[in-house]
Amino acid sequence: MKRPLSPFMFPTWYRFQITSVLSILHRLSGIALAIGSIFLAWWLVAVAAGGEVFEATHAFIASPVGVTLLFGWSVAFFYHLCSGIRHLAWDAGYGFDISTTYRSGYAMVAATIMLTALAWLYVWLTA
Amino acid sequence: MANTRSLSNATAERDQSVLRRVRHLGSAHNGLPEWRLQRGTALALIPLGLYFVASMLRLATSDQTSAAARLASPAPALLTILFMLTLLSHAVVGLRSVLTDYVHTRAWLVAAELAVRTAAVLLAGASVLAVLKLFLGR
Repeated sequence: MKRPLSPFMFPTWYRFQITSVLSILHRLSGIALAIGSIFLAWWLVAVAAGGEVFEATHAFIASPVGVTLLFGWSVAFFYHLCSGIRHLAWDAGYGFDISTTYRSGYAMVAATIMLTALAWLYVWLTA
Repeated sequence: MANTRSLSNATAERDQSVLRRVRHLGSAHNGLPEWRLQRGTALALIPLGLYFVASMLRLATSDQTSAAARLASPAPALLTILFMLTLLSHAVVGLRSVLTDYVHTRAWLVAAELAVRTAAVLLAGASVLAVLKLFLGR
């Protein structure tokens, strides 16, 4: 029997639901943040190195590609943070029934949007 | 009776081979310590992550001197080192759980895990060295 294996379960075998979509986004944002840690370490090295290395890094961060990446990582960070807190609550045994799960899911998405907006509002106002 | 025995033997053999496959490909071997590390680092990353992002927001538009000056003071230097180490440990556990779910070939799984761990150690070393350089003012 040729059974379906996990990365290819979605449109064909499973229907999308808010619970599964948010769960997959938790993983995807985690992977995105792990990739982001490379740039974070690079930025620290660039600050320590100074001179041309920092200038080039700073120019990249300020470029449209750099700002887009930063925006993506900020969304991923706030999403993974809110989703992670939801997971920790589950680990502690809270919020397992369907209605609470749906409510915490929507609340988490709302919190992500608000935190991201606040963060960029701060950057925009202080820039 | 003979029939039943042969049936249960077949079942036992099948189960054994399935278990063997699971042991080789599926299990993380260190379930509980890894679970605890993931949750422990997750808890630590709530304050550390918020601190780091808040300080990055302030540094986002800054020049090298102010970023270097900030990382040269004790509290930001310590918190940045702790943040990077916690973040990378958390990332290794997370990426490992993704790999064990989606990589179904032993050789690729070992290679991918090795690559993730090597990258994490290199990034951790580089980050710590960079912050220490700024902190010690060399």
